[in-house]
Amino acid sequence: MRTFSLSLLPHFPSTAKPLTTLVSSYQLNPDRIKDEVITNILVKAMTQFPSPQFDLSLHLLSPSQSNPGPNSTSDLTEAVAKLRVLNAQLEGAQYARFWVTLDSDDIYADLTTDIAGFEEMIRLRIAQLISQAHREVQTSVLEGWLGLDGEDEVNKFVIETCGWKVGEDGLVQIPKNADNEAKKTEIREDVAVDMFGRVIKRAWEDSA
Amino acid sequence: MNYQSGMAPARAIEDDSDVEEEALVADYREQVQYEGGMEELDQASLAQQHDEIQSRLVQAAQPLDFQATLETKFQSYDNYCALFHYILNSEGPVDLEPPSYYWAWDVIDEFIYQFNTFSSYRARIARQTNNEEEAQILRDNPNTWGCYSVLNVLYSLIQKSQILEQLTAMRRNEDPMAVAGPYGTKNLYRMLGYFSIIGLLRVHCLLGDFSLALKTLDDIELNKKAMFARVMAAHFTTYYYVGFSYMMMRRYADAIRMFSHILVYVSRTKNFQKNTQYDSISKKNDQMLALIAICVAFHPTRLDDTIHTALREKYGDQLLKLQRGGPDSLPVFEELFRHACPKFISPVPPDFDKPEANIDPIDHHLSVFMEEVKTNMWSPTLKSYLRLYTTMDLKKLAGFLDVQPEELRSWLLVNKQRTKQLRWTDNGLLEGELVNISDLDYALQGVSLRR
Repeated sequence: MRTFSLSLLPHFPSTAKPLTTLVSSYQLNPDRIKDEVITNILVKAMTQFPSPQFDLSLHLLSPSQSNPGPNSTSDLTEAVAKLRVLNAQLEGAQYARFWVTLDSDDIYADLTTDIAGFEEMIRLRIAQLISQAHREVQTSVLEGWLGLDGEDEVNKFVIETCGWKVGEDGLVQIPKNADNEAKKTEIREDVAVDMFGRVIKRAWEDSA
Repeated sequence: MNYQSGMAPARAIEDDSDVEEEALVADYREQVQYEGGMEELDQASLAQQHDEIQSRLVQAAQPLDFQATLETKFQSYDNYCALFHYILNSEGPVDLEPPSYYWAWDVIDEFIYQFNTFSSYRARIARQTNNEEEAQILRDNPNTWGCYSVLNVLYSLIQKSQILEQLTAMRRNEDPMAVAGPYGTKNLYRMLGYFSIIGLLRVHCLLGDFSLALKTLDDIELNKKAMFARVMAAHFTTYYYVGFSYMMMRRYADAIRMFSHILVYVSRTKNFQKNTQYDSISKKNDQMLALIAICVAFHPTRLDDTIHTALREKYGDQLLKLQRGGPDSLPVFEELFRHACPKFISPVPPDFDKPEANIDPIDHHLSVFMEEVKTNMWSPTLKSYLRLYTTMDLKKLAGFLDVQPEELRSWLLVNKQRTKQLRWTDNGLLEGELVNISDLDYALQGVSLRR
């Protein structure tokens, strides 16, 4: 009897973030979304590290999709748990550990296979983040952090792909950029006149 | 896209005082819908029905009794459906005035509140296994108080009232009435539409969609002139959910700005507030202070004096632990988050057949949030050392901190990466510009650190 007509239902509005939109639109209909779609979105979000994108996508999953219950696991919850480990390593700048984890289980190859150039994307992003914090860095560090094998591979990558220089001492030189200069930034707060007014007013009220 | 319908299931009418009213409304709706509208009703019954509807409007804004039975909750849902159906699906706009200025807010607020408590209750029944009777009723009626229906009501009210068009016009200093359409020119629709926007902010946040939550406020300007500012509870709710969403998006400066604004406002107006209203606000007040403590731990900054004092009084010990960081801070983050977060809702009904598979949505969101907390937990310690030196050997600093130098390198990167934060300037709430929020900058040169 008391039916509420859905005929005038508007289309759900599109959101600003294309990545989370897809999860959003399936949020209420988890049975309609395929596991690969979820994991692909998570993997794609992961490549944007460091950023809240991966977490924001996780928040959209239903609680039982992203957390295995005590007696229940599914392929999806297991995959999500694995991806969370990877993402935490990227967010925590544990890059060497990331490559080790990625290699440790075949499931990762399955999960990332749909995202073309996943490893290359991650490697480039790590290189970029390294350049923002370093002026010089040892080849040995780069080898682990970039997931490369041996000094030659590292040299090739940093010279050809990044355009950095390798010094005779084996230290890789990173050109100056806006972030690795470590200049003192001035934190300024603009105070408008009316804000002073508020201070004075409050002082007045307190004493009154 | 094909959504499942959120239709209220047909249930037998219980022997209840609302029965007559219900029947009347149902009759009324049928006539309006199927017989072409009001002109076919005679004037006497029209007046009577008008009174009925008017009393239903008032009733829809009344809080449900705290100990209401499941049956009453179902009944209340049906009442809302009937009322909104009448308002939205009658032929043309209905000719009603909202009973008061606060009414539209109260209705939307109560509607969402009941949705929220119902969802939590249902999840609890599904997790416990000792109430088979209620579990069965809930299992049989998965769409009652369903997310989909609730969102549908809010979106429909927004759409019918053309409130977004009106707000856009107002921002351009044009006449909103020119774009309000047949519904939006009426007070009832305009007010319901407006507060439905705030309602959507809240529901999306409760469902864990924080960016969509902020996006829904694109057309509302957060300032003193905003319509919600005249309704204290609406004002307060808006800032709480906007601030919370910002926090979840790691935009701590913006979150602090939101919480601070409203807390200062409350502290300055509390003398004019009626006591009952102030009581309900005071709990949220505490919650926002707790959230500020969390945000300040991530993003140390100067606070307004009033807030700083209140924070030290209320959460002094906790704040100290948060600011110290390390593993000892983790339980404090958890405690404050649990205390201050909204009562999250799972977007889908629970699985009554697998009680153990139903994770409390709060646990879910907390566990995601804690990942970022853990990632950052060494930053406070790190910063306290960095302030002391301008050049430093990495090994030596690692020795002080009792970690491996390569681990320290990671900490340094994390800390440096987090000094960039999106901060709102003057467009939509989701927009902003990337700014450096720390006065402490450094770069690594081989095995030494320079700042």
